[in-house]
Amino acid sequence: MLEIKFYGRGGQGAVLASQILARAFFKLGMYPQCFSIFGGERRGAPVESFLRVDEKRIRLRCGIKNPHHLILMSPDLITPEVLSAVRKGGMILVNAETLPETVKGVGECDIALIDAQGIADRVGLGRALNTAVLGSYCRVHGGIPLHFLEEAIKEIIPSRIDENIEAARIAYQEVSIYRRSKGNGA
Amino acid sequence: MKELMTGNEAIAHGVRLSRVQLVAAYPITPQTPIYEKLSQWESEGKLGGVMVRVESEHTAMATCIAASLTGVRVFTASSSQGIALMHEMLHFASGNRVPIVMGCVNRALAVPWAFGSDQTDTLAQRDTGWIQFYCEDNQEALDTVIQAFRVSETVCFPSMVIIDGFYTSHFMEPVEIPPQEAVDEFLPPLPMPNRFDFSVPAFLSNVVGPLDYFRFRQRSFSDMAHSMEVIKRVDEEFGRTFGRSYGVLEGVHLEDAEAVLITSGAITGTARVAVEELRGEGFRMGLLKIRLFRPFPAKEVCRLLEGKRKVGVIDRNISIGQGGIFCQELKAALYPMATRPLVQNYIAGLGGLDVPVELIKEVARDLMGRDREEGPIWMAEP
Repeated sequence: MLEIKFYGRGGQGAVLASQILARAFFKLGMYPQCFSIFGGERRGAPVESFLRVDEKRIRLRCGIKNPHHLILMSPDLITPEVLSAVRKGGMILVNAETLPETVKGVGECDIALIDAQGIADRVGLGRALNTAVLGSYCRVHGGIPLHFLEEAIKEIIPSRIDENIEAARIAYQEVSIYRRSKGNGA
Repeated sequence: MKELMTGNEAIAHGVRLSRVQLVAAYPITPQTPIYEKLSQWESEGKLGGVMVRVESEHTAMATCIAASLTGVRVFTASSSQGIALMHEMLHFASGNRVPIVMGCVNRALAVPWAFGSDQTDTLAQRDTGWIQFYCEDNQEALDTVIQAFRVSETVCFPSMVIIDGFYTSHFMEPVEIPPQEAVDEFLPPLPMPNRFDFSVPAFLSNVVGPLDYFRFRQRSFSDMAHSMEVIKRVDEEFGRTFGRSYGVLEGVHLEDAEAVLITSGAITGTARVAVEELRGEGFRMGLLKIRLFRPFPAKEVCRLLEGKRKVGVIDRNISIGQGGIFCQELKAALYPMATRPLVQNYIAGLGGLDVPVELIKEVARDLMGRDREEGPIWMAEP
């Protein structure tokens, strides 16, 4: 079972990101389960969203403390606690222009860097950088063909579908990956 | 057809497939997405029935009762303070023997104000004369809505289909949507030969003398007891038609279990994983899920726990001044046994606090090392 945590700010699309990715996995024949931590849903507030994926039915109905993959949509939210929760051999994907020093310091994890905000700005999506983040995630994950993500985006995103797909495609190409772990953590 | 959906959406699908003719409800977190989904379908012409906008949950239930008496299939949904506000009308519903189905999404009662799951809101309605189903996951929630209409319309008691706030209501996972034709066959149109007829005006909810009241209550009690067989039969028939059945209880690894955990609702799913891990570590743990709370399956519980030495009841609810409510009910049910197991109560997850695998394993380890009962033990991760 693979456990993924999205960490972002209200308005960036962390909740929808986990649902789009869940749908892409579902289309691949996997069993996804996704959920979000609620209570402070408003623009700018920290938002956590989660996704479990397995080949068989998932019975767990509890939170995810130690994800294999951590997706940081907002670099200013990075704290030592958030980073240290990632499992050894896991992966941290961060949206930033340059790799933050704190993330560089995490050992035994793959690190991926994407300027998702820059891509969202380029294609005219403003703060909604979730589809760019997902495009880069597909590349890092290695097992999600981009067209599965594109189909999921079409089914879930209510407007500006072309721009969102464009953002995902650009991010898939532009993501930088630093392989440093011995396994993929999953 | 399988589709990704939340527990709330699963309940809404159950309502749509049951061809509900009237929905009267009032929004409250975490139940609101049920209301929103049904409203969306109504506006798109996909619901079949009508949504009635009301000013409170009390009125929602009053509207459902009146509509149901005229012979239409009705549904409502609520949580927490909304269920509490309905309390008076819940008695009217069961007293009038109307087959209303209500989706309940457990949420902590104020004060302090909180959003997370806590079964005390529905368990506080224990004595209102409603059937209560506690569902573990999204699929069971959808299926149970359909079953509940069939049961309620057979025995003339209203039913609550209950899920945990967020851990089920907002968890999204694959759910099988049964075909409409099969549901239509399983759940034919509502038969109500004694329905209220406007051309023949009559008065209901009349005042009676004490003996009539006494006999009326006695009749309700025996009818509710008889509904147990109907509930089992409907679930078995559902299983034959749709390939899924749940029982009123479900035992896991009970045959050789030395100690048994008892759970309800969403915690059951996580407890399944905990029990498998414990067995892998060499502990003979078992699990008993209680799905039906009213009528309470007392005889069935005794049969399944015969010969067991230790039982640990995990309650995501609390009766202040006594303890966990499932535990109280279980202890009362076990009393007639010649040799009763040790029963220890554990309070966990109140207010939506997370109950992970490790916490359940901690409960199990405490239970296995225990040789006497004590008051409820409060379990929370540090």
